[in-house]
Amino acid sequence: MAPVEIRDLTKRFGSVHAVSDLSFDVQAGRVTGFLGPNGAGKSTTLRALLGLVHPTAGTATFDGRSYDELDRPSAHVGAVLEDAAFHPGRSARNHLRVLATTGEHPEGRVDEVLAAVGLEDAADRRVKGYSMGMRQRLAIAAALLGDPEVLILDEPTNGLDPPGIRWMRGLVREQAANGRAVLISSHVLAEVAQSVDDVVVIAEGELRGHGTLENVLGGDDGPATEVRSADQERLAGAIEQRGHVVQRDGDSLLVLGITPGEVGEIAGQEQITILGLAPRARSLEAAFFALTGGET
Amino acid sequence: MSALLRAELLKLRTTRTFAALVGAALALSLLVVVLSTTLGSDFDEQDVRELFTFDFTPLFILLLGVMGMAGEWRHRTITSTILAAPDRLRLLTAKMLAYAAAGIVLSLIVTVAIMAVGSLVLSGRGETTIGLADLAEVLWPNLVVAALLGAFGVAIGGLVRNQVVAIVGVFMLFAVEPAVIGLAIDVGRFGPIVGAPNGIIGINPIEEGEDLLAPGIAVLVMLGWILAGFAATAALLRGRDLV
Repeated sequence: MAPVEIRDLTKRFGSVHAVSDLSFDVQAGRVTGFLGPNGAGKSTTLRALLGLVHPTAGTATFDGRSYDELDRPSAHVGAVLEDAAFHPGRSARNHLRVLATTGEHPEGRVDEVLAAVGLEDAADRRVKGYSMGMRQRLAIAAALLGDPEVLILDEPTNGLDPPGIRWMRGLVREQAANGRAVLISSHVLAEVAQSVDDVVVIAEGELRGHGTLENVLGGDDGPATEVRSADQERLAGAIEQRGHVVQRDGDSLLVLGITPGEVGEIAGQEQITILGLAPRARSLEAAFFALTGGET
Repeated sequence: MSALLRAELLKLRTTRTFAALVGAALALSLLVVVLSTTLGSDFDEQDVRELFTFDFTPLFILLLGVMGMAGEWRHRTITSTILAAPDRLRLLTAKMLAYAAAGIVLSLIVTVAIMAVGSLVLSGRGETTIGLADLAEVLWPNLVVAALLGAFGVAIGGLVRNQVVAIVGVFMLFAVEPAVIGLAIDVGRFGPIVGAPNGIIGINPIEEGEDLLAPGIAVLVMLGWILAGFAATAALLRGRDLV
């Protein structure tokens, strides 16, 4: 059982389909990037996972249990949501003390997480005087308070300056190296590409790709192959069956993550006639846009 | 539940709102008592009792409860609060208990202060004062009302999430309820902000023969208001998507 499992998740707000039939897992010891353009349904999915939004259908669980079934949830799951908010009149230390009390965590953890995010010198200042980046660090401190097995980070680099973004990348890698499952959402691929192992790509509430970064997006300038065949759909199915991502591109197929030789080998095994086969140089970003239907 | 309750009480202690409301209630109540005891004369025991129950704590305790709950929406802290305590019914229960306790503390501070200052001024002027046993008899109904109004304020804040609208609504109820009592006592005596609390305290501002509720009944009526508020707030809170 994966630490995070989303199965057939659907959420509708009136006539708006925010998320449709979404399924994916997040594995322990890996950083999973949850990617998609603004409005793709990322935040709704994460909020459904965290029990803040009631799914219309499907489930979102941690080790088989929904968030509100977890005993002391902050000891299992740490979350940073996009609009992390704090009482402006309360200090960072007191904000964390409140959360530590609620989660029944030792008060000593407050100083530990403040030090971990570099806020120890500003801990007794009221949050209303904090910069955006400091607030984001405080939200991360709150997520780390219970030393959780799973970290859910919704657009965590928002408001961070370049050193802050670099720090965040180091933090998520360190958390994964310690065996934690990390799910990090972003609409900016470049911000997470360097730190993720797996990606889940969604657009318009639907899953567009799921697997390792290389498999789904072809890696940064990684292999991609354009192929034309007499039996386009059968070839696409055969390639997809082997775990590769195929995009329909007019009268040809764009296969991500494998070379023309590998595509030819699959076609040979399936005895499908190839009409044209060529490598196609492509960037990670272009692959992402191709999957999500954005600009290239 | 105890962890949640401790967390809610810690929230109260770690902002300036509670101290500011206690200060404001204390200042206003002391001003009224000092003016009344200094300018009035020929006090009898009943006058003194009523003087020591006349303070602004009910208004401030209601505002405290309203701000405690509606403030979660205003500052958008409701998300982190529910993330930390996903059982929304337990959270609401803990909040109501915490603000009931806060109401007791606020009322205790104000009532003891006005009793001390009022008694000093009255005895200095050679006017009638009441003994400790009588003071205690005045004190406990004040504390009961304070606890009930603290919890009721949370319910109002949960139902009317816009803090400004909720606060204006509380002021309007404070203005409207006495008018309803004057116009239709059979309805007004059941009011949650003036009618039933005055029944508990034993203040009867209306004509003889048109009594407010007896204290025990008034407590039950207040509990009914709180339960209704809890149920309505719980239904809203449980069903709401936090997007």
